Amino acid sequence: MINEWKITLKIYRQKGQEPPHYDTFELEVNPDEYVLDAIERVWAFRDRSLTFAHACHHSTCGACGMRVNDVEKLTCITPIRSVVANGGVLKVDPMRNFPVVSDLVVDLGSLYQRMDQVGHRSVLPLGEEPAPHPAAAPAPEDLQALRLADCIECGLCISACPVATTTPAYLGPAVLAGAQQHGLNGDLKLLELVDSDSGVWRCHSAFECTAVCPSNVDPARRIMDLRRQVIGARIARFFGRG
Amino acid sequence: MSNKPSPSNWPKWFDPRRREAGSWAFILNRLSALGLTFYLFLHLIVLGTLAQGEAAYDNFLETIHNPLFILGELVVIVGAVYHGLNGLRVGLTSFGIGVSVQKQLFYITLAITAVVAVFFAVRMFS
Amino acid sequence: MDKPHAIIIGAGFTGVATAHDLALRGFDVTVVERGPIANGTSGRTHGLLHSGGRYAVKDQESAIECIDENMILRKIVPQVIEPNGGLFIALTESDLEYGEQFIEGCEACHIPIEELKPQQALKLEPNLNPRLLAAFTIPDGTFDPLRLALSFAATAKSNGARFHLYTEVEGLLLDGQGNVVGVKTWDRKTNQRGELRADIVVNATGAWAGEITEMAGASVPVKPTPGIMVAYDQRLCQRAINRLCPPSDGDIILPQRRMMVVGTTSFEVTDLDYVPVIEEQIELMLERGAEMVPGIRQAKVRGVYMATRPLIGAGVTGRSIARTFKCYDHKASDNVDGLVTITGGKATTLRAMAEATANMVCAKLGVTAQCSTKDTPLLSYRQFYALP
Ligand SMILES: Cc1cc2nc3c(=O)[nH]c(=O)nc-3n(C[C@H](O)[C@H](O)[C@H](O)COP(=O)(O)OP(=O)(O)OC[C@H]3O[C@@H](n4cnc5c(N)ncnc54)[C@H](O)[C@@H]3O)c2cc1C
Ligand code: HEM
Ligand code: SF4
Ligand code: FES
Repeated sequence: MINEWKITLKIYRQKGQEPPHYDTFELEVNPDEYVLDAIERVWAFRDRSLTFAHACHHSTCGACGMRVNDVEKLTCITPIRSVVANGGVLKVDPMRNFPVVSDLVVDLGSLYQRMDQVGHRSVLPLGEEPAPHPAAAPAPEDLQALRLADCIECGLCISACPVATTTPAYLGPAVLAGAQQHGLNGDLKLLELVDSDSGVWRCHSAFECTAVCPSNVDPARRIMDLRRQVIGARIARFFGRG
Repeated sequence: MSNKPSPSNWPKWFDPRRREAGSWAFILNRLSALGLTFYLFLHLIVLGTLAQGEAAYDNFLETIHNPLFILGELVVIVGAVYHGLNGLRVGLTSFGIGVSVQKQLFYITLAITAVVAVFFAVRMFS
Repeated sequence: MDKPHAIIIGAGFTGVATAHDLALRGFDVTVVERGPIANGTSGRTHGLLHSGGRYAVKDQESAIECIDENMILRKIVPQVIEPNGGLFIALTESDLEYGEQFIEGCEACHIPIEELKPQQALKLEPNLNPRLLAAFTIPDGTFDPLRLALSFAATAKSNGARFHLYTEVEGLLLDGQGNVVGVKTWDRKTNQRGELRADIVVNATGAWAGEITEMAGASVPVKPTPGIMVAYDQRLCQRAINRLCPPSDGDIILPQRRMMVVGTTSFEVTDLDYVPVIEEQIELMLERGAEMVPGIRQAKVRGVYMATRPLIGAGVTGRSIARTFKCYDHKASDNVDGLVTITGGKATTLRAMAEATANMVCAKLGVTAQCSTKDTPLLSYRQFYALP
């Protein structure tokens, strides 16, 4: 492996109740490595007290979301060369809008609980997941096959959302997208949950969720679609057919 | 500053650093909305001066003939045009129309606003 | 408190499954993990819910474990599995020859296979290499690594287990006779040191197991053996695609969410905390993967990562080491009481590994409770965060 680049990692640090600060680490890196690799290397060789969340290292678990130079990134699939130049500074912060547990680790509990609340399924029939590429379109007889859902519950969309910044009660893009995928289908409890001032109507259309989503979910579009579903359901109920 | 969501984070609404077009649209919309609301109040207060008689109102008309006030008026017009057009964009996309081209719609909004701005600037200052 | 207290070091697959098993058997369980759940080998695994076919020729003990556990996991944690099955495909004459042994091996290990004509296989998986010579279906699957671990952890938590994450075990507490009675911890979240005492300490640190046993002056023959995986940004197959040949580099393509992951390789390292990616192996994965699914050449690399197998063995190397697991009671092997090590194995066999470990722990402490994890459906992985 060739470590041909030198970069400076500027990492947000916070332990317990202590006030936060940044630590910097000069690091030789291979620009084709991922940001997460650089962070893990800091832990392995420079500072064993650094905490960060990670598991799969290939964008399937959603643990490694962070803010890299102030933009939400899934660090395990973000090549270093895509976010910094040789000799540059790579600033890494924890995601916004979730409580910091320690350093780069945030508590995603609220997201997970809300995903359960809206009944987002983690495994879906193939036909219900949009195929992102024509070559990948499944054969019709395979539509019954099951696959893991696209949303990896990383929380990047919630970190990027300006509304979530000020409104803890806002369900957030991933959760509303989860509700849309689940579908209202006459589910009154779900309807009440999303048809509220913490639900679909809280969105102010900044579209940042879709911009940062690493996993093909397009939460903004799904929120808008859910609004249509909500209105449809309300009209149907008004005429006594819901 | 806490990392948790909290109403006290409101200044972050207006921070467009490293964000995308959609955030700019949102920020400009919110700023223009606040501006327009402020202007509406101003407008009502001014109309209130009518009640104090013709002289007072004429006096007022005098003062607003200076260029600074004309510039202010231009800002109101531009803000209103942007806010109205972007309002249409938000309204359409809110119901699933044009979500995939929201950025383009925003640029069109900006372009039209710019044309209107130039048009009124030329008329008002010539 | 009458409940025996067990400390489990490591929250990889082995650790969380053991926590679940012991919690069900009425133990008071504390898991101490230096990072988040599944940050070690477990999170970075390929994700193949093995049917055992891969080992049916050379390592039938592992193969039988795999097929049995595969069927159990499908029942108890369907929420984290793409249960779409797999294919073994032959592309060369030598693959076909291996096919004979493969059929015999699968029969011997009661792994259900079905032979398909090449056209049938292509109908199922249109993106396969059209020159394939033979294919067999097999009950493989894909699992989501983190969520599999979280499901076990969540269920353990609901039965009272406590999880100390980001807490490293820095040393073992010993009584005067050199027996283990607890662990010395460093909470990396708050930078605080502490001690925890227990009736039994279970070392479930996988490839790192040797580091823990060393703290007690004991040893385990773990041979850390990393391998590479390359994830591509397209899903060109819906089933696990295995090359019909003896286990070799890049012999499995696994669909996962919208991706395909090709793996893997096998070599040895000494520094476990950071295993750098070896560039040539990326190219190798592409070559080998494209033999089975040529369309991979048009896909883009989405992620490249390494993980380290905790293989057990002294003397032999890499692929020839059996993939089965082993429990060590260090009383028997090193005359150190209070410490049990579980290592080796596969993700697919996590439950069986936990059962064997818990059996050993129960026997040591005179607990008679039986294992019930086979029939206990696991909670949603999301409950791990909901529970206090
Ligand atoms: C390349 C590769 C591909 C694989 N593919 C598959 C597959 O497709 N299917 C399959 O079934 N299996 C697969 N496996 C095997 C499987 O992933 C492993 O057997 C399994 O993950 C091992 O789990 P573990 O819990 O024993 O180890 P780990 O997951 O490594 O857990 C050990 C834990 O201990 C922690 N720890 C270490 N030291 C300390 C300390 N001092 N204090 C506290 N905690 C500590 C670590 O942080 C770590 O979380 C693969 C393995 C490799 C390497
Ligand atoms: C052309 C007419 C107008 C249209 C189409 C329009 C449309 C909209 C829309 C769609 C929003 C919601 C934006 C969002 O979801 O973030 C909005 C917000 C708002 N508008 Fe207007 N508007 C118009 C005129 C006005 C005027 C004249 C005023 C003030 C006097 C005004 C004040 C506001 C305010 C205060 C908000 C809230 C801002 C925010 O939440 O960011 N609007 N408008
Ligand atoms: S919608 Fe996208 S960004 Fe949001 S949690 Fe799911 S995968 Fe992450
Ligand atoms: S580590 Fe799993 S998504 Fe990045």
